[in-house]
Amino acid sequence: MSRIGVFVCHCGENISRTVDVERVAAEVGKLPGVALATDYKYMCSDPGQGLLKKAIAEQRLSHVVVAACSPRMHERTFRKAVESAGINPFLCEMANIREHCSWVHDNREEATEKAIEIVGMMVERVKRNRALPAITVPVTKRSLIIGGGIAGIQAALDIADAGHEVVLVEREPSIGGHMAQLSETFPTLDCSQCIMTPRMVDVANHPRITLHSYSEVEHVEGYIGNFQVTIRKKARSVDEKKCTGCGVCIEKCPIRKIPNKFDCNLGMRPAIYIPFPQAVPNTPVIDRESCAMFKSGKCGLCKKVCGPGAVDYEQEDRLIVEPVGAIVVATGFDLYDITEKPKGSQIKGYGEFGHGRIPDVIDGMTFERLASASGPTGGRILRPSDGREPKQIVFIQCVGSRAREKGISYCSKVCCMYTAKQTMLYHHKVHDGQAYVFFMDARTPGKSYDEFWRRSIEEEEAVYIRGMVSRLYQKGDKIVVMGSDIAVGVQVEIEADMVVLATAVQPRSGADILAQKLGISYDKYHFYSEAHAKLRPVECATAGIYLAGACQGPKDIPDTVSQASAAAAKVMTLFAREKLEREPIVARVREAGCVGCFYCRKVCAYGAIEEKEIRDRQGNLIKVVAYVNPGVCGGCGTCQATCPSKSVELDGYTDEQIVAMIEAL
Amino acid sequence: MKKKKMIISSQTMELDVVRKVEALSGTSVRRCFQCGKCSAGCPMATFMEHPPNRIVRLLQLGQWQRILAGRSIWYCASCETCSTRCPNKVHLASIMDALRKLSWDAEGPSKESYVQLANRLFLENIRSYGRQYEMRLAAVFNVKSGQFLKDLMLGPKLISKGKLKMFHQKNRNMAEIEKIFSRIEEMRKKGEAL
Repeated sequence: MSRIGVFVCHCGENISRTVDVERVAAEVGKLPGVALATDYKYMCSDPGQGLLKKAIAEQRLSHVVVAACSPRMHERTFRKAVESAGINPFLCEMANIREHCSWVHDNREEATEKAIEIVGMMVERVKRNRALPAITVPVTKRSLIIGGGIAGIQAALDIADAGHEVVLVEREPSIGGHMAQLSETFPTLDCSQCIMTPRMVDVANHPRITLHSYSEVEHVEGYIGNFQVTIRKKARSVDEKKCTGCGVCIEKCPIRKIPNKFDCNLGMRPAIYIPFPQAVPNTPVIDRESCAMFKSGKCGLCKKVCGPGAVDYEQEDRLIVEPVGAIVVATGFDLYDITEKPKGSQIKGYGEFGHGRIPDVIDGMTFERLASASGPTGGRILRPSDGREPKQIVFIQCVGSRAREKGISYCSKVCCMYTAKQTMLYHHKVHDGQAYVFFMDARTPGKSYDEFWRRSIEEEEAVYIRGMVSRLYQKGDKIVVMGSDIAVGVQVEIEADMVVLATAVQPRSGADILAQKLGISYDKYHFYSEAHAKLRPVECATAGIYLAGACQGPKDIPDTVSQASAAAAKVMTLFAREKLEREPIVARVREAGCVGCFYCRKVCAYGAIEEKEIRDRQGNLIKVVAYVNPGVCGGCGTCQATCPSKSVELDGYTDEQIVAMIEAL
Repeated sequence: MKKKKMIISSQTMELDVVRKVEALSGTSVRRCFQCGKCSAGCPMATFMEHPPNRIVRLLQLGQWQRILAGRSIWYCASCETCSTRCPNKVHLASIMDALRKLSWDAEGPSKESYVQLANRLFLENIRSYGRQYEMRLAAVFNVKSGQFLKDLMLGPKLISKGKLKMFHQKNRNMAEIEKIFSRIEEMRKKGEAL
């Protein structure tokens, strides 16, 4: 026979104003199994908890129900209190008579009746609770970082500097990401490469960082503290260990007219190349689709000239498995393309801006490459069509962003600032030129950001025109921009030499596929979802996986670096423990009833369901049943609701308990 | 107002005027971010075809001809409410002054001559007496503008309240007053003042 203690809280006046707490205690005291029912002004206070502990000792209580606020508020408090009094914490439950009762009712009589029923239900439930042991899992103190942009680099350096091993995976031949492509950065106008490349070199030289460039995550298994990650190292056709980075192969390659993706296709590269001079690792890669050796088998020049014999045409993709304890996802962003049809849109791109067919209508990143000293024009701003310097340049903001019709309703956050920066770069490089900016709102929240934007107008003489552009069209060698100024209320027409579109920031292509491999959730745009928008902004709902940078939402460099360091701190917090303890409210499979249909595996959001073979004494396979990995299970109960044979149940929420609660009504 | 296509194009943007007005007024035109507080508090805004904020916006877009075609700048009473309340330190009253000066230079006293006449008589009075002699100001204005009976009935009321003196009182230090006027004239010749 259980000896249940019920403690009814007044919560100051929050509960006692509408609920007759003394009557609740008196009525509940009559229920079978209840050994003690009492009330107190503030149960969560130190004396209130003392009362609870004293009663457990004196009355030899076996279970506890605290009738007070929401379990979200104080369940931990009371479970800790009962644990210190010697009862398993999972034999304590809370009956919510504040949010679910006193706060939402006026009638004292009816509210008291309802409170008695709520407490009565919890009494029936707690009677059937099991004492649950804490679950501990070991921690592998290595971490995987997916993406070698500034977010991944920052997280890798932070974690490695803290003394833990890091595996950094980058899809492209070099780390650096988008930041390596930028010319100068707001709001201080410091050269992006100058601040970026030392960090890239730090990554390459760090004794605790293993860099897998030109590689992708193939497969992820396991759970927090114990992931097994399969990485595909794509065939570079150049041996990284032998190559000295002398660059002779690049000079001799006869196939030289391939648009360089790093320069937004403005410049050309050979078939064996490094994407940019400061690339890390400084090892070339053969583009097998363009290389004559791979296409026709005739050439082999790079192999002939390579002194150390690093060029290897036979190299194949390799799969390697890395055991890690935590994963930081930092896959970054892509820019929206005005020729593409965004997800969820009926409309294909921007016909009104020429669908990308007007050569001197470029996007922000292309402008960065034009303005970059290491770019295809050596830092001179020239029109892609005829190489002339544009004297009238128009910037258009919110292209794709905040355009529900185009399928994107969010603000891309960085465009206001980078457009202001680009007007400055333009003014510094083309003194007799005039920059115009068409915009809806200027969003400049950030340290020194608004001042920076105002500077582009007040000192660098950019003309900002509030109002969007309806249409662009080619007229001779000019581009006519048809916009409006809503302050004056008139149409504005500008004959521009070049137009720069601040196109929307989107998640990397394939972000959804990676999310499915990792078992993390993403929103309708494929940005990864954090566990809580405010209080857990760098963690995924899936334990042990953290987010950094623009893969979670549009972000500028300072925000990205902050989030990457925050993610690194979370990883270090995880690695500070030898074993992980976690809440044992997990699902359990009743193996006798399980028929192995694995519907539960289909619905499990955490990937916690595994297969387990049941064998007889001779070792013959009897059947395959589901097994819930307690280290991974999130305790959501979806499997329980799905199971056709009622063979899987969540501790604390079993069918027996739910039925008993209903019968108590 | 000249009939013109209601469109602003890059050809009609005279952005040099922005620099000229900034030099004349000593305040930034580009700094204005169009919050509209100047127009919200302007006592004359209801008489203007372009409220003060739009004047600045037109100026930012180099629409000098549009400003010149209108009368708004002449309706400004120079009360400086806009300058006092501007959150962004734009001295709009000075910009209005500069615009009136540019308008005068471009078109002479052709438009809103009453405003210009009143301003001139006001200053002449100061120069002659060292202070304002309202009776003379009103009388000469009415004669010179040809509206002899304008506001005549206000006279007795103002006199009875002591707001309008029958005879002038002269400043004791007229030499100093004259110095101020001649210094401004000197500066004007050199182009240092409006």
